[in-house]
Amino acid sequence: MTVLQGAAAVTPKPRRSVGRGLWRALRGNRKAMAGSVILLIFLVISAFPGLFTSVSDPNALAFPPRLGPSSGHLLGTTGLGQDVYSQLIYGTRQSLIIAVVAGFFATVLSVLIGVSAAYLGGVMDDLLSMLTNVALVIPAFPLIVILAKYAGHGSLTVLLVVLVVTGWAYGANQMRAQALSLRNRDFLESARVRGERRSYIIVFEVLPTMTSLIVANFLGAALYSVLSAAGLQFLGLGDPNSSSWGTMLYWAQNQQALQTGAPLWSIAPGLCVALLGVAFALMNYAFDEIGNPALRPVKAKERKVRAAVAAKAATAAAAGPPEAVVSQDIALQDAADADAPLLQVRGLTVEYATARGSSVAVAGVDLDVRRGEFLGVVGESGCGKSTLLFAIARLLSAPASTTSGSVTFKGSNLVAMTEKQLNVLRWRDYSVVMQSAMNALNPVRTIGAQFKDAIEAHADYGSEKIRERSVEVLQLVGIDPVHLKSYPHQLSGGMRQRAMIAMALLFTPDLVIMDEPTSALDVVAQRSLMVQIKELQQLLGFAVIFVTHDMSLVSRFSDRLVVMYAGQVVETGPTRTVFDTPSHPYSKGLLDAFPSIHGERVELKGIPGSPPDLGNPPSGCRFNPRCPVVQERCRSQEPELYQIGELGQVKARCLLLTPDNEPQESRSLEVNS
Amino acid sequence: MPYLLRRLGFFLLTLWAALTLNFFIPRFMPGDPVNALRDRTRGKVSEATLQQMLSSFGFKPNQNLGQQYLDYLGNMLSGHWGISIGQALGEPVTSIIGQALPWTLGLVGITTVLAFALGTLIGVVAGWKRGGRLDAILPPLFVVTSALPYFWVALLLILMFSVWTGGLLPSDFNYDTSLVPGLSPGFIGSVLQHAVLPAATLLITSIGGWILTMRNNMITTLAEDYVRMGRAKGLPARKVMYGYAARNAFLPNLSGFAMSLGFVISGAILIEYVFNYPGLGYLLYSAVQNVDYPLMQTLFMLFTVAVLVAVLICDLATAWLDPRVRAKE
Repeated sequence: MTVLQGAAAVTPKPRRSVGRGLWRALRGNRKAMAGSVILLIFLVISAFPGLFTSVSDPNALAFPPRLGPSSGHLLGTTGLGQDVYSQLIYGTRQSLIIAVVAGFFATVLSVLIGVSAAYLGGVMDDLLSMLTNVALVIPAFPLIVILAKYAGHGSLTVLLVVLVVTGWAYGANQMRAQALSLRNRDFLESARVRGERRSYIIVFEVLPTMTSLIVANFLGAALYSVLSAAGLQFLGLGDPNSSSWGTMLYWAQNQQALQTGAPLWSIAPGLCVALLGVAFALMNYAFDEIGNPALRPVKAKERKVRAAVAAKAATAAAAGPPEAVVSQDIALQDAADADAPLLQVRGLTVEYATARGSSVAVAGVDLDVRRGEFLGVVGESGCGKSTLLFAIARLLSAPASTTSGSVTFKGSNLVAMTEKQLNVLRWRDYSVVMQSAMNALNPVRTIGAQFKDAIEAHADYGSEKIRERSVEVLQLVGIDPVHLKSYPHQLSGGMRQRAMIAMALLFTPDLVIMDEPTSALDVVAQRSLMVQIKELQQLLGFAVIFVTHDMSLVSRFSDRLVVMYAGQVVETGPTRTVFDTPSHPYSKGLLDAFPSIHGERVELKGIPGSPPDLGNPPSGCRFNPRCPVVQERCRSQEPELYQIGELGQVKARCLLLTPDNEPQESRSLEVNS
Repeated sequence: MPYLLRRLGFFLLTLWAALTLNFFIPRFMPGDPVNALRDRTRGKVSEATLQQMLSSFGFKPNQNLGQQYLDYLGNMLSGHWGISIGQALGEPVTSIIGQALPWTLGLVGITTVLAFALGTLIGVVAGWKRGGRLDAILPPLFVVTSALPYFWVALLLILMFSVWTGGLLPSDFNYDTSLVPGLSPGFIGSVLQHAVLPAATLLITSIGGWILTMRNNMITTLAEDYVRMGRAKGLPARKVMYGYAARNAFLPNLSGFAMSLGFVISGAILIEYVFNYPGLGYLLYSAVQNVDYPLMQTLFMLFTVAVLVAVLICDLATAWLDPRVRAKE
């Protein structure tokens, strides 16, 4: 679906690209192919039944009854003396007609009612939605049975009408939902601005983008029609003289086929109904998978890559044994290496397994965090900063995993730990604050219950003490303790974020890892939250790793900065130094992209282009395609992190800053583009 | 509270719509059911009884349609469902239904809830172990089983476990008719034995849908931040799986459950027919065969009520489990 919608959003007339994208997606889906093949075979049979059997009138009582399977009668004969095989062949057509015609008209009705409801809005929407919901709940099959009876021994037309009338509601609901979500899309907005008529917009702009859902809906309606029609005919409510699988089933049941030694008479047509139904169901499910790639089975190729990545991850875990695996005397150890950094990350590499091979999202990152230090990690979206954080916290999930390097936290290597060992450290010693508290807080549990979960996982407090501690941390972030009883959706965005920070402080950990905790807030709330984080940090003494794309945000609060690009650290050093005199061209670009709170007004510049595809990074310096001061050697030679300046506090990954390069020259480089 | 009031309003509206359909279908369909009834009962009942039957059925030719409709609604809602004009001619519809209802509730009700619970649980595990071997086999397998016709699965099971195996399991009726109904172990055993094949049919055909939707919901939910947050907090895996992921993934399944009951009812009709199981589904079949209008009408109403009650229960459960629904006014 992402492919489809992407195409739809940029091209004014998305019809062709939608069709083609859909076709390509279908061809790659095994379930869709299996379904289409079955359907195709039945189509051919129904079009040319004469090609498949020599019996011209399958209903004539031309043979001895209840013959077993033989070369003359592949599936034997019926209890009445007809050839089962040729009856099946001739019955195909009616089942297909029922499926296609009823499916088609039910879908037309769904689209009409669903899309009208969405676009007319107001009272009409209320009425149509109500109609749909009522129709959805009234049990269809008993109604069909009753209608079929009243209508007399149903002709095909009556059967079709009944199936359409009872089969449209489910689709209409879905159509309405999708049409509503499409209503405010940009490309429709632009059509409205162009002054197109509403009917034109619906037919030429809305319906094409709904192709996938409409086809899926047709398949569902066809499946429903096949099964319902066969069921009705099986009960004897169809035309008993028609040639169809359902009618065969009726006569077979009527004549006790199973009990009288002619099981194929009833099993074979049932199998045909099942096969046709399965064909529609498989194709329908394939559409779900195409719409939501997460549901797809992991392809063999990708599984191989995953296994390779997992093997590497296992070596990484084995390479650095957890020194003093969470020993009880952590305190002792702490005293011993008081100067050692709290967190020491070395050569950390994270790979994503994809069908095209593995892609390195974090490439050999080194960083240190000292006790009580505030470390800012900055970079554009897609440069691997969040992945880095989750790798440090050991929260990656398939298809991503840490494939080499170590994360030494308080003397033990997290990479080598099992989930069980990690769970001892988590939240007590390091905690995590995520980007959007709306999504990171469990929506169906109260704030208090979520605090309690965290406490109970690590400590044996009584309920009184749990409450006490929860109240305490909430007050720490300035939230009224009554909100322990509140659900996340009842709090404002800023409060949710602070509640999450409060949760992270339940055990006053040594390290709090924060992934853009302010990005969902407005500027004013951002500032006040940052100030509060800084105050809490000074009060409680925990260290912070803070990820953001907004360099100016961390400039006032962090002690040191790490600038990331394309999975690598491109510059690191004391915040003030990096901020005032950025060494790497990318750091300069980032700084120029954000307004400075204090300082003179300068023209804001973005960095042209976007971060590279991590599956296939550019050779040489990864920043070279976007670099304003790129040189020829940058395209082939891979830079390392070079020490800059006399104190060596700043390191940057740029060939122009190599020791043999004139430092003055690189310092005076002006970004001119 | 407004949420529940609204759902209650929906309940009443749908019930009214179903009853109205019920009233008008016989009147607007080709062929005159009243004359058909006259023909069928000629010589069997007196003219006065016939009149009484007709009026309980809602046909009072000398009254206007509006009055007939109102009387009919009143009768339906107050349980005055009339008397059968089919096989059990003259027997009150209430007592016919009273005999069949427990069997359907027992067989179809228990099996459906079981299929839902079991399917949901398997779906949770399959989604949690996404990409595992189990997850590679389950989806295609259950796409197939959920598209199989109920009656065909029933026929296959009869063939395999009854015909070919010399009557290993009974495939006819709800208990051994040579036994006296009662709370004896023999009778209960017989009832259970007779329920195995129909229940298996219903389970096989309906469990796939639950597994698939729950697996897919679970996969979508597992990508949510709050699940990762659960891990970050160092909660035991079981707690994250059930308390954080499944707890949320289950919510859309609940409303799906109520909506699917219509399909269960169609399954019940076909399965009870194949197994000659004397429940409500079989009753509808025989009522239709015998043109027993009062019985048909009442059954259709009861099926609608069954679905609506299920919808209401699921609404209540949703409101109980999801604070956001409660908050929506």
